[in-house]
Amino acid sequence: MLKGVTRLVSRVHKAKHEEKHEGQHYNLPLQDMKTIFPHGLPPRYAMQMKTFNEACLMVRKPALELLHYLKNTNFAHPAVRYVLYGEKGTGKTLSLCHIIHFCAKQDWLILHIPDAHLWVKDCRDLLQSSYNKQRFDQPLEASVWLKNFKTTNERFLNQIKIQEKYVWNKRESIEKGSSLGEVVEQGITRVRNATDAVGIVLKELKRQSSLGIFHLLVAVDGVNALWGRTTLKREDKSPIAAEELALIHNLRKMVKNDWNGGAIVMTLSQTGSLFKPRKAYLPQELLGKEGFDALDPFIPILVGNYNPKEFESCIQYYLENSWLQHEKAHTEEGKKELLFLSNGNPGQLERLCAYL
Amino acid sequence: MAAPLVKAVLGSSDLTLSVRSAVLRFPGFTQVRWSRYSPEFRDPQIDKDYHRKPWAELTEEEKFERELRKTQPIKAARSANTSSVFEDPVISKFTNMMMKGGNKVLARSLMTQTLEAVKRKQFKKFHAASSEEQATIERNPYTIFHQALKNCEPVIGLAPILKGGRFYQVPVPLSDRRRRFLAMKWMITECREKKHRRTLMPEKLSQELLQAFHNQGPVVKRKHDMHKMAEANRALAHYRWW
Repeated sequence: MLKGVTRLVSRVHKAKHEEKHEGQHYNLPLQDMKTIFPHGLPPRYAMQMKTFNEACLMVRKPALELLHYLKNTNFAHPAVRYVLYGEKGTGKTLSLCHIIHFCAKQDWLILHIPDAHLWVKDCRDLLQSSYNKQRFDQPLEASVWLKNFKTTNERFLNQIKIQEKYVWNKRESIEKGSSLGEVVEQGITRVRNATDAVGIVLKELKRQSSLGIFHLLVAVDGVNALWGRTTLKREDKSPIAAEELALIHNLRKMVKNDWNGGAIVMTLSQTGSLFKPRKAYLPQELLGKEGFDALDPFIPILVGNYNPKEFESCIQYYLENSWLQHEKAHTEEGKKELLFLSNGNPGQLERLCAYL
Repeated sequence: MAAPLVKAVLGSSDLTLSVRSAVLRFPGFTQVRWSRYSPEFRDPQIDKDYHRKPWAELTEEEKFERELRKTQPIKAARSANTSSVFEDPVISKFTNMMMKGGNKVLARSLMTQTLEAVKRKQFKKFHAASSEEQATIERNPYTIFHQALKNCEPVIGLAPILKGGRFYQVPVPLSDRRRRFLAMKWMITECREKKHRRTLMPEKLSQELLQAFHNQGPVVKRKHDMHKMAEANRALAHYRWW
């Protein structure tokens, strides 16, 4: 259902979003949100979803552009990398969620890492990896991610078969030809092997996406964490570099464009980043030389503030849900003031309207 | 409470030359809390509508006042008083009372988080209720705030009066200002002192405001206790001489 300036009430399928729908809100069914997004929604948006009892996204130009490219992907060519960048609060994460929802409806396999920054900071238990002595495992983060991956992609887990034998330890191993679901189960139950399970899942998906059984969407939020510094330390207090973490190492291999049969959509984020200035938002500043060279070539998509039409649409949406309770917020004066205070920034506008 | 700003000082000096105020000065009294502005300074007019009125629409007195303001000096406006449409003097006063150590940023963010919390709680109740009850549920955090504070204001207060070597709690009428102040003070102290240490201020405040809005909760109880004490000490009312 599209809500917006023109108040279209017809249920338009997401695949038919075009330029004329720009600025209008459309409703996502809550059941879908629980399966596709067990993690990965911005926290304030999740609160809004809980308060309004509905999930509404605005159709905006960057997302429309990306959808157009994704609809015309050639699956024989190597995966194209798209990077959403922009200032704080402009809607990069929600645009990513829009893309993920679209691809989930088209039956793609979604590999969604909600925030790569969470993997490079505040990790309580770091184990030395059994597979490679130089690297470190993060059992908690890996097992949580595997659980959420299972919720999103239940139906694919039994269809995909692994093509190699993996040995966990002296007594346990997984035979060639067993389903991916078993690998995921092993990772969830045996938390010590969770990181290796994640590595196996990524390797198998990369190998098999070229076969054409499924389309793979790799969606990473905060991809600048992969090439930044970490705040994790070894027992002797020496810092750990990003490549010494097994999860990060495997993810870097995933984001390389040496496979075909899908697409890679990424978001840069300064909000969770470590040791980066607050005002940095351009790819060169946030990724650094190493990251930029690794991701080169990519298609950059700028996500900006609301234009007047989108701003009006957002205010209309809040008014329809009676979120703006202050009497003066309904007047022209109030709207002009909100525009001035937020400068059209979606995040700021949301925070302002929360207490009005 | 006659002339609270003036303190008795024996042999007042000539310090008061540059620092004058509009309050009556008695011989032998020196100002304690004074303003740096001399008496001819006018208060600033922050209201946008006052300035936007076209010249033709003004009455004779208003025109005279405008001309007068051009010649008189005007005090500087406070940085916290904006000409925003969303500004509320009660909310500003409450925020200032919550402020500690001059940290207005923190006090203001706590206030906005409280209003948001009140709104979200009411929305949750609204969605859970049937359609008849939905008309009765108030979702505007500002009306809830004002009504809650009005419900907490005491009608009559107590003052300690010294008579015959003993202090008696005498029932005394309170001015509007004092009542509003007491309501806000009780609300803030209740939240700060009587709640669990680990709960955050917005959560505590929103709960207290909602309870006060429905005339329940500890702050309204304190007001009732004050009224009961005043009623109990009715006989002492003639100790008051003002």
